[in-house]
Amino acid sequence: MKQKIPLHTRILIGMALGLIFGIVCLQSPALSSFTLDFIKPIGTIFIRGLKMIAVPLVLASLIVGVANIGDISKLSRMGGKTLGIFLVTTALSITIGLAIVSALKPGHKLSEDTRSDLIAEFDANAEGKISFAEKIQSRGPLDPLVNMVPDNIFQATTSNSSMLQVVFFAILIGVALLKVPKESGATVLHFFNGINDLIVKIVQFIMVLAPYGVFALIASLIIEIAGNDPSKVWELLNALLWYIITVVIGFAIMMVLVYPLLIQFFSKIKYLDFFKGMRPAMLLGFSTSSSTATLPVTMERVEKHLGVSPEVSSFVLPLAATINMNGTSLYQGVSAVFIAQAMGLDLPLSAQIMIVLTATLAAVGTAGVPGAGLVMLVVVLEAVGIPAAGIALIMAPERILDMLRTMVNITGDASVSVVVASTEGELDEEFARKHADD
Amino acid sequence: MKKLPLHIKIVIGLLAGVVWAFLSSALGWNEFTIKWIDPFGTIFIRLLKFIAVPLVLFSIINGVSGLSDVSKLGRLGGKTLVAYMATTLLAVGVGLLFVNVIQPGGYMEEEQRIKNRLAYEIWLQDNEMGPSQDGQSFLSDPAYTKYLSEAQKGQQLSQEEKQALDEKLSSAQKQKEASPLQFVVDMVPENIILSISNNRLMLQVIFFAIFFGITIVLVPKEKSAPVIAFIQGINAIFLKMVDLVMKAAPFFVFALLAGVVAKMADSPGEVFELFLGLGSYSLTLVGGLFFVVFVLYPLILKVFVPKLTYKELFKNISPAQFLAFSTSSSAATLPVTMECVEDNMGVSKTITSFVLPIGATVNMDGTSLHQAVAVIFMAQLHMVDLTIAQQIVIVLTASLASIGAAAIPSAGLIMMIIVLQSVGLNPAWVAIIFPVDRILDMCRTVVNVTGDVTVSTLIAKSEGELGKYN
Repeated sequence: MKQKIPLHTRILIGMALGLIFGIVCLQSPALSSFTLDFIKPIGTIFIRGLKMIAVPLVLASLIVGVANIGDISKLSRMGGKTLGIFLVTTALSITIGLAIVSALKPGHKLSEDTRSDLIAEFDANAEGKISFAEKIQSRGPLDPLVNMVPDNIFQATTSNSSMLQVVFFAILIGVALLKVPKESGATVLHFFNGINDLIVKIVQFIMVLAPYGVFALIASLIIEIAGNDPSKVWELLNALLWYIITVVIGFAIMMVLVYPLLIQFFSKIKYLDFFKGMRPAMLLGFSTSSSTATLPVTMERVEKHLGVSPEVSSFVLPLAATINMNGTSLYQGVSAVFIAQAMGLDLPLSAQIMIVLTATLAAVGTAGVPGAGLVMLVVVLEAVGIPAAGIALIMAPERILDMLRTMVNITGDASVSVVVASTEGELDEEFARKHADD
Repeated sequence: MKKLPLHIKIVIGLLAGVVWAFLSSALGWNEFTIKWIDPFGTIFIRLLKFIAVPLVLFSIINGVSGLSDVSKLGRLGGKTLVAYMATTLLAVGVGLLFVNVIQPGGYMEEEQRIKNRLAYEIWLQDNEMGPSQDGQSFLSDPAYTKYLSEAQKGQQLSQEEKQALDEKLSSAQKQKEASPLQFVVDMVPENIILSISNNRLMLQVIFFAIFFGITIVLVPKEKSAPVIAFIQGINAIFLKMVDLVMKAAPFFVFALLAGVVAKMADSPGEVFELFLGLGSYSLTLVGGLFFVVFVLYPLILKVFVPKLTYKELFKNISPAQFLAFSTSSSAATLPVTMECVEDNMGVSKTITSFVLPIGATVNMDGTSLHQAVAVIFMAQLHMVDLTIAQQIVIVLTASLASIGAAAIPSAGLIMMIIVLQSVGLNPAWVAIIFPVDRILDMCRTVVNVTGDVTVSTLIAKSEGELGKYN
């Protein structure tokens, strides 16, 4: 019976039950601590399971993918396209964010008192981010490029945050594999093919746990957010309600307007099919708030349910998971202006253009830096001369918005892969209609 | 342009890099060079380094598993060690010869040297080290008392120098405290994945790879066949990667050189000044290194491998030499060294894959020569007369240290501290040669790499696996 319910429904049920359970737990401290001690680990295990296979998956699938492309000029064309689309969608999402925040002016709705309260509350937190951002800014302009090249590939594979390095050398191995004589490369290709299939199977095993993992994640999240004083949380969130609404509207525009148009324009997949096919990955992105953890599922959905060829998905998606962050960029645009508004600063058009530029560059430059969202925001704020301490204002809803923007990021990644596949003729147009709902 | 051989293109890149660095410092573009050009040099070194470990791992396994009988490995190993030891001793001998004949320390002003000497004896007294190495005492000689106060002043180091020195001293201390067999212990990995994920643990990777290769030979053929096929494939892939990277080498070398020179000083004048200050020392050392590369090694090779002409030798290995010069890292150069020795010299894969990685970590002819010249130069500078016997002690410590210090980065200076201490001289003296060390490091890496090439060729010859020059 249970097997017949589709995956996304099961995940949704898990989320809903987690939400209810979390709220119930809030009524009793004993139940809360029981949940944190014995239920939360299930969620953590689930995320770890997904992250565990992310690096081997990227490595194996990218090697096989590049080797199967069979043509280096095609590879570089795809690379150029991918990066180009990343830049365009990133800039677009920031612009959308800026437009909405300028129209709604959420910052003006923040009272003087709440502002000082917020700053007092989160000042210490903000300082850590600021000093981290300083470290990042003191790097040379080409440092992101240098950091993309591993100085030891085994070292690179032992850290999830050096995913870009793994991507880099996997591509290099793939290219070299293309260039060596067929007979010497055959065994290696065969080996990685096998590994690749194994990992896909492992993803399926782990996904069995998904509803339970999601349940645990959401339940513990509710408890953690509420902390000791649920009423105060409501107060905080209420004060920032307009800000949250602004961000959410921005995300909604991306999801129901920008991506559908993009997909409609460049491919023959119906957006509804795209949405249906990607549902489980989106839900996972929401519950784990980690593109890396969701990556294995994103790849599986894009390949097996939307009909993108493995060559394209294995190339585009790992890159996208580290570089392309539409949701994060939009959030940055909104937050930067929100903070300026709340502090009574006026941002002329030139400053707004500056925000678009720095946020786009920061998105690329901080690729692979863990927890980059807020750190990037500090970089952006400083670039336009807004006091970076202002990030204290927006710390309260950070967790929830992080979940939402991960969802947008992942949807953006998948859209880019569909577009690249479609323009490269690597997209099975009929496929999505039949399998999106599986 | 396309038709130029690689090594010519690299030389062009190298020269262009130096010219660019001087131009940029003359025009005040140094910051641009450091921000926008130097990173490409770093990228190049990283690329080569990340290829080095898997290449060593897979090529050794590949090479050893290709042996029909394992006893050959023992013979190869013995020969390799003896040959490396012999070339190191020869190189150190050359160093001693040069430094004793040229006497670079003697070019300094007499008065300054007397002050140095007094400072040295004060240091000895302060540390209760007993009488000086040559048994004389300038302190008790009334003729020199007028210099005494200045000598004491001269002792003061700047804060920065002191800090740099302290770091080196403490790592030298650690190195010295270890048991003499520690380096053998350190050769055995605790966790093989950990070893391959750290570029400094190359010896452990070598150990594991040899072990793994031997085991492949001992396992029935039909079981090991897929593993061998996989390793051969991966090995071919990494070799291909070296090719791909080397295509861009001229550009990368340009970036490296431009960065190195730009970082060293703000203006070309300063670079020259740095050199002039230590001119006699630098010239002696460079002379010794040149002699080893262009006379000693070719001579040895001529004797054992008559068919290899002088011109061909350098044509074959110059890409590796230029790369060694620009990266000043034997490990980073290793992939290219292996390629040159295999493809151009015709040494069999079994031998290169075994001899060269070991050489890159253990054999440091240039570094040992540098030790000898530098230590004795410093002694001369302080008017400490060392007898030939004492110099030979230095030679031996230096050679042993060069094996033990295999895994230490910027090992040169740390080893020198060990050597200075072992003969009762003041380790703080290494500060004198800090300024020019970066450039001399480039030169001695060339010697290290050329030494590795020479030894691998000799061993291939003795095993009858030297292709066309056999």
